[in-house]
Amino acid sequence: MSWSTIKRSPKRRSTKLSKQPAATANDNMIPHKLVEELPTDQLGRNLDTTIELLKNLLGKNADFFCRKFQMYGKFNAAIIYFSSIVDKNAINSGIMKPLMYVPVQTDLEKLTVTNVLDFILNEAMFHTEIKKEDSIENIINALLRGETFIFIDGVNSGIQFAVKNIEKRSISQPETEQVILGPREGFIESLQTNIALLRNRLKTADFRVEIMEIGRISKSTTAICYLEGIATDDLVKEVKDRLGKIDIDAILDVGYIEQFIEDNHMSPFPQIQSTERPDKTVGSILEGRVAILVDGSPFSIIAPVVFNQFYQTFEDYSSRFLMGSFVRIARMIALVFSLIFPSLYVSFISFNPELLPTEFAVAVAGGRAGVPFPAVVEVLIIEVAMEILREATVRLPKQVGGALSIVGVLVIGQAAVEAGIASPITVVVIAMTTIGSFATPAYDAAFALRMLRFPIVIMAGFFGLYGVVIGVIFIFNHMLSLKSFGVPYMSPVTPGNFQGLKDVIIRAPFWWMPKRPQMLHSQNSDRLGKTKGESKKGTSNTLDPVMVGNEKWEEDKSSGISTRDNSHSSNNDSN
Amino acid sequence: MGVSKHSWKTCLKIILIALVPGLFLTGCWDSDDIEQRATVLGISIDKVDDADGADLAQITGLGNQFPKPKEGLIRLSAQIAVPGRIPLGPQTGGAGVDQNPLWVISVVGYTLDDTIAVLQQEVADRLFFGHLRTIVISEEVAKDGVKRFNDYLRRNPEIRRTAWMVVSKGEAKKFMEVAPKLERVPTLYLSAMVENAVRLGTFPEDFIGLFWTRLQSKGQDTFLPYLELKKEDNIQISGLAYFKDDRMIGRTEPVEIGLFMAVTGEKRGGYEVFVKVPDTDVKVIVRAEHRRTSIIPTLRNGKPHFVIKIHYESTIAEGAVGIDLNNAEIVRKIEEEATKGVIEGTNRLIKKMQDEQSDIFGFGEYFRAKQPAYWNKKIQTKEKWREVYKDLTFDIHCTTKIRRVGTKAK
Amino acid sequence: MEYPREITVIQATTILISTIIGVGLLALPLFAVRTADTGAPLVTLFGIAIASTGLGLITFLGIRHPRKSIILYGEDILGKWLSRVPNIVIILFFAILTGLTSREFGAVVITAILKQTPLEVTVIVMLILAALSTRNDMNVFAYIHNFYVPFILAPALIIVALSLKNANSLYLLPVVGNEPGSYLVGGLTIAALFQGSFIFTMIIPFMRHPRKAFKASIWGMVIAGGLYLLIVIATVAVFGPVEITNLLWPTLELARTTSIPGNILQRLDIVFLSVWVIAVFTTLFSSYMFTVHSISQMAGLRDHKMLSFFILPIVFVIAMIPQNILHLYDVIEIFGRLGLILTVGYPLLLVSVDLVKKKVKKSGSIKA
Repeated sequence: MSWSTIKRSPKRRSTKLSKQPAATANDNMIPHKLVEELPTDQLGRNLDTTIELLKNLLGKNADFFCRKFQMYGKFNAAIIYFSSIVDKNAINSGIMKPLMYVPVQTDLEKLTVTNVLDFILNEAMFHTEIKKEDSIENIINALLRGETFIFIDGVNSGIQFAVKNIEKRSISQPETEQVILGPREGFIESLQTNIALLRNRLKTADFRVEIMEIGRISKSTTAICYLEGIATDDLVKEVKDRLGKIDIDAILDVGYIEQFIEDNHMSPFPQIQSTERPDKTVGSILEGRVAILVDGSPFSIIAPVVFNQFYQTFEDYSSRFLMGSFVRIARMIALVFSLIFPSLYVSFISFNPELLPTEFAVAVAGGRAGVPFPAVVEVLIIEVAMEILREATVRLPKQVGGALSIVGVLVIGQAAVEAGIASPITVVVIAMTTIGSFATPAYDAAFALRMLRFPIVIMAGFFGLYGVVIGVIFIFNHMLSLKSFGVPYMSPVTPGNFQGLKDVIIRAPFWWMPKRPQMLHSQNSDRLGKTKGESKKGTSNTLDPVMVGNEKWEEDKSSGISTRDNSHSSNNDSN
Repeated sequence: MGVSKHSWKTCLKIILIALVPGLFLTGCWDSDDIEQRATVLGISIDKVDDADGADLAQITGLGNQFPKPKEGLIRLSAQIAVPGRIPLGPQTGGAGVDQNPLWVISVVGYTLDDTIAVLQQEVADRLFFGHLRTIVISEEVAKDGVKRFNDYLRRNPEIRRTAWMVVSKGEAKKFMEVAPKLERVPTLYLSAMVENAVRLGTFPEDFIGLFWTRLQSKGQDTFLPYLELKKEDNIQISGLAYFKDDRMIGRTEPVEIGLFMAVTGEKRGGYEVFVKVPDTDVKVIVRAEHRRTSIIPTLRNGKPHFVIKIHYESTIAEGAVGIDLNNAEIVRKIEEEATKGVIEGTNRLIKKMQDEQSDIFGFGEYFRAKQPAYWNKKIQTKEKWREVYKDLTFDIHCTTKIRRVGTKAK
Repeated sequence: MEYPREITVIQATTILISTIIGVGLLALPLFAVRTADTGAPLVTLFGIAIASTGLGLITFLGIRHPRKSIILYGEDILGKWLSRVPNIVIILFFAILTGLTSREFGAVVITAILKQTPLEVTVIVMLILAALSTRNDMNVFAYIHNFYVPFILAPALIIVALSLKNANSLYLLPVVGNEPGSYLVGGLTIAALFQGSFIFTMIIPFMRHPRKAFKASIWGMVIAGGLYLLIVIATVAVFGPVEITNLLWPTLELARTTSIPGNILQRLDIVFLSVWVIAVFTTLFSSYMFTVHSISQMAGLRDHKMLSFFILPIVFVIAMIPQNILHLYDVIEIFGRLGLILTVGYPLLLVSVDLVKKKVKKSGSIKA
């Protein structure tokens, strides 16, 4: 995987391959020179010529399979496919078998070269996904994608069968985003399965999946998913435009696409969200966003995105609102802490110890007495060590990884304190910061904050608390000027939107949030129906012990007493 | 045009970006790690006579070129915390216990800043006053006047306004060397003492910020706690040192602090007094829990007159043999007796202050605020007020209600 | 030029609030007490009233010319060449104001927090931050102010609330003051602290509904003025008028005297100062943006990005001119008063000329 092969050509060429064959000899997207040198793109009638041609182009591959046979006993035909990517059982039973035996009702005599193609297409085949293809370029593309072709001598079209079968792993809980209360399904690498996971959750006709091919050599199938009528047409068009402008030889992961279509490449903050969970993707699509999936990557990316999505998890919504709000607030505090805690520590120790309570300040001085470095340097050293440790534990195999991380943190930390390199409080601060940074659910946003910690610590080392404030102002100003597909990054806090604010710090109950996010300007912005408040009225205490298993009293009609508290609503009706 | 402009802009940007870090390369100027500062926790100021003046170092003066002022010399003792000897967390015993966690240094100089300069010359690390909590002034120095210290204490931004200034009986330096067993850091014991006194209701809030405010106000004189060192290294609040302007002129008894707080309207009560039960020889102890005071300044015959109404909520803290506290009649009598005692005591206290011409109660402020016409015409300055204050008339009304008797049934 | 109009009324209000609340916050009670003793709150109210008339005039003008800033409609009303003079004066004034504000800020920082850091560094850091932020367009300008306002207001209110524990209502009486000096002078000095509101002229053309600008200006003045009033009341109540005359920055001392119950953090003034840095930043940002924007309008430039860095050295030099802090405050007082002539007088002139012109036009058209 060398980056040197990537050419970012200044010409913006569209690599969109639609279902119709639009290729001509001038289109230089296929790097095969032989094809370009062909006199024509049209398949010839002679079977042997065709086989010869294909063998020239593709024959060097060990998995290229070509077999000649007699169809219905009287036609010469050949079947060609790449054996590594097809389902051989389907070929055998679905394709070869019907071609060997004529269906009972047909008269073999009547079949000639001219009408055998139509006969096969319409009457004979068991296999459902078939079509005819006569452009050589398309035939080659299709072969490389796992389609099988049958060529008949004397017919200038081939029949294309879709029998692709590639090994894929089973659906399991996503590794990077684990929840307690929620589905355990995550995307896998196969695009078909992923789209299936999405479609299963959005069984509506408005759910659209559009396909594009990006990447000259990898020709990765990219799917754009959205809900028509909820996502604005301008947004969908913008997404497609940006995707169309990508000109690279291979898209190996959806992260490549993210880097091409984001608004600001220099910003440490991600402007597109990536997730491994289908339920989260569906949630975003329902709000009016667009999701992009690529074959070969278990992640989907969602655009546009705002900052407060990065500390929301799916669990906030599937659990009750008090729980969700509490956990979210804890996460926000952890996030803020992970950014400024070490720098606050540095500024308190080095610049403004009068802020600490006196007893504590004097004691801390004691802890630092043996350390040779100033607080800034000490913090930076331990921070860097922590980052290295983190990277190392990601790469370790599972069996060794768990123990080593604990060993690393405890032992090395303790040893550093005893050696006098660090003071115990520094180790505590850094450890808490690191743990806090794990609380941010979105990996890329947490990374941004992790990175930004360092400049702020350095600023704190120069100016103390004043430096921290300047650094934080600088970061906020940057975030406030970011836009993701036009949506201001800090919506709905700024520009303010009351409806949106209900989901920022706390997670308001569903009946308080009847509209979709206003920042996405969806045509259809009502989420809840009219029954917002009435969910309360309708409940009846069916199994309340007063009513069940109890003897009903006789109704006393003459008295003017009001109805009993626990009376079932139907009791009143029956009177 | 397009290409050259583009590169000129980028060139400029690069230059700017390269220059900015140059600003910071000269160093982090204020960075001073906490263990590299000499944290001064408390200072004490004593008067010295010129005999010790012989070894005055020429740090802030130089003979005839920068002559030093010729007022009285003071001795400053500073209690500096030694980093590393005051441990975090529980005492692990062994090495840490024997070593003295503090270092007391004394220097001599003419003014406060002078002495601090001398002190810095003798201490390796930079002196840090951010945690300064107590300033102990000996009685002699207080009687000379504290104004000259206020200037430095105000100008130095490190010094917090919530520090306490106290007057000590005898030498102030001893207070710096004391090591009471209750606290790890001795000066903190001192500051905890006065701060807790406020919470216990035995002293009004009087940190240095309030002290300064009262000193400056036109209608008030100020006061400070008066501390005395006792045998077991413990310290006693022996009363209230009252000031006329910035000189101390005398002190009150501790119980009079309670009466003082009654007049000024401090809500929290804390003093207990013996009250004789009428018609018997028995004395019970009544403790004030809560006070409510209103002071109304009026003019009677064109002269200032005050009506002071005090209301006490009290508890009987200790009964005595021979009386039955269940009897409501007896309790009422005790209330009356307590009331009488308060009225007598406050009368005496106010008269005493009037003789000394020290308006620590702040009556002048009431006048200035609520009778501005009279104040603006007749008085206007602090000196004039003192004269009027001498002849002030006042009425004191007091009521006491005994609300609780503790958990004993009789 | 097509102006993207997005600023809502709430955003305009927050811009006003954060611009007004700035570096003057610290020394405000001192100015108030110097002239009026215990009548400081009243003098503050008086100052607010004067400032409000200035702001009202500007808003009125802005609504009459909803798509133009004061530079442009000054040209309309007074004619291109005649308006050049006041426009240049305005730009110069705001450049000087930016410099003086940053200098005052730097002075507070190096006196109270960072004692060894050179003044130039603190000033330059703040100016660079402001200059970098002005490279964005007006919408981001509004977002920035909108975002920081809660951070400014909340701590100030909390400190005021906590400090009232030590308050003594006697210091606030009598309400008019025992020895009232000149109320007028005091009011003018305080009104000078509200001069930042002049930048509203730049904001109105970018508002979504310029007709609603009055609402924004009223609310902005109420909140900012209310906060200033509260601070004056709190400081006078806690310290008493005489003591304040001894304090250079009474608000800072107020924060110092306050402590969170339970003594978790003991010296709240550092926290307060950090928050105040945000307030100063927004004020500086506004005046810097106004300078740059006005220059670009006068010169007819499309984009003001390059100007941000060109102005920087000029403003920095201006900031370094006063010799010491006392000199600085003298200069600020003088400039404040001069500024009032500009920010209240010039709009008054424009309004009157505008009204007269309209009348002449009307009568002229009737005749014709």
